[in-house]
Amino acid sequence: MIRRIVVMTQPRRLLNWLIPGIFFLAWLVVSETGLAPPYLLPHPKDVLATASSYLFGDVGQAAYAGRFFEDLTASTTRVLLGFGLAVIAGIPLGVLSGRLALVNHLLSTTINALRAVPGISWLPLAMVWFGIGIKTTVFLVALAAFFPIYLNAEAGARQVSPTLLQAGAMMGVRRLRGTFAILLPAAMPSIITGLRLGMGISWAYLVLGELTGVTNGLGALIMDARMLGRIDIIVVGIILIALIGRLCDVGLHYALRLSFKSARRIP
Amino acid sequence: MKPRLQIISAEHRSAASPVVLDVEQVSKRFVTNGSGDITVLQNISFTVRRGEFICILGRSGCGKSTLLNILAGFMPPSAGVVRLNGRPAGHPGPDRCVVFQEDALFAWLTVKENIAFGLKGRAMTRREKEREVDRFLSLVGLTDFADYLPAEISGGMKQRVSLARVLILQPEILLMDEPFAALDAQTREEMQDLLLRLWSELSHTIVFVTHDVGEAALLADRVLLFDRAPGRIKEEIRIALPRPRQKEDDGYYALCRSITAKIKAL
Repeated sequence: MIRRIVVMTQPRRLLNWLIPGIFFLAWLVVSETGLAPPYLLPHPKDVLATASSYLFGDVGQAAYAGRFFEDLTASTTRVLLGFGLAVIAGIPLGVLSGRLALVNHLLSTTINALRAVPGISWLPLAMVWFGIGIKTTVFLVALAAFFPIYLNAEAGARQVSPTLLQAGAMMGVRRLRGTFAILLPAAMPSIITGLRLGMGISWAYLVLGELTGVTNGLGALIMDARMLGRIDIIVVGIILIALIGRLCDVGLHYALRLSFKSARRIP
Repeated sequence: MKPRLQIISAEHRSAASPVVLDVEQVSKRFVTNGSGDITVLQNISFTVRRGEFICILGRSGCGKSTLLNILAGFMPPSAGVVRLNGRPAGHPGPDRCVVFQEDALFAWLTVKENIAFGLKGRAMTRREKEREVDRFLSLVGLTDFADYLPAEISGGMKQRVSLARVLILQPEILLMDEPFAALDAQTREEMQDLLLRLWSELSHTIVFVTHDVGEAALLADRVLLFDRAPGRIKEEIRIALPRPRQKEDDGYYALCRSITAKIKAL
């Protein structure tokens, strides 16, 4: 199997960072020339100083100093809990709905109607239901991540060629084993797309879920900084969420490739 | 190209061998909304003896693929019975294996894993299974491609894998649904040669659906010529040409011409 693992050459690897690099340079230029005043966009070196204090400083040394690991743990826990719930509900329901007309009829109207409701409109209701704290955030993350996971699992399961299932049947594969040995692997590319979208959206809704009521977490950090007008902290928060989001995506990808043979054919 | 192996004559085989497949008065109607039912197959009856090579020949839309799906157990007939070794054939299973026209390999498994797929759950040791897989890999000439994924091999190679993964299960009857129709002429000839060679080595019973007169004349002991829709057996043509058959032979050429004339007359 080693033969198929693509070794990325150095120039290609650099390509991954080309656009972030250009953004950073542009940022540097507009800050250095004074094109963007610090109250609109802080200078990279100020942001870097803030980031280093936030990440590595001692608690109490300055505002926000050393809070990163607490925030990271809190946010990651919420994201993983919400995402996990979305996976547990989304994949089985999606696959069933893609294969069984009855389940599809039962679910599609409801799910497609709920899908149209913007996440933010759930926030007040979630706060009434779950109170202020982790439950509200997890609920919002799970709700938001559910839809892409469900819809992609459904589409993937529906598009599995009947010939593949017939081939399984003639080789003596009964329904249950067929589901795990043929249906799910064949639908895997779509399922993975759904999981990656769901993971991305989880981080987006985390910030929404942490808008009110919680004191820790990256979303809470950003909201808190907005109140205090600490735009540098907001920028630090945005960059950290982007980096962690990308890391989660890569981690998810590798975890899937490690666990499922059928995930390995996706680059 | 290797010369085709000598195969025992059709007469010898059909006279002595027991009946494997017995198709009795099979009809298939599809219910449509509004415009009434469509009859696709009408009163199909024929038998296949052990070791025979039967071609079902007909124009597209004559129901020959539907018949193959019924034989495989993928859909039930509207009327009639399909018997395998005297017993009604029910759900699909490894006793009746299909080689499909399109690519029906498992894209996430390697060539070797695809061929081993049907052996899962069989009462064999791991070593025995590996030996069987290796044997069939070499029978279809894919030993060097064992660890490739289906997306990495050619159309002809894919059909070799399709063949190997069902032959390894030792089916009572091998059902082939225009398996070489999507291949280029050169590859198709190679596959026909391979199939005949495997057939002579492993002596399978084969029902082969095709619309290609030349293919039927080259492969079959008997050709069941299908009428236009609704599908009925118009004529049974017994091919007495000695094997190995050569496309350059006058006899072969005359046979093709006479079958083509019959199809045009339908």
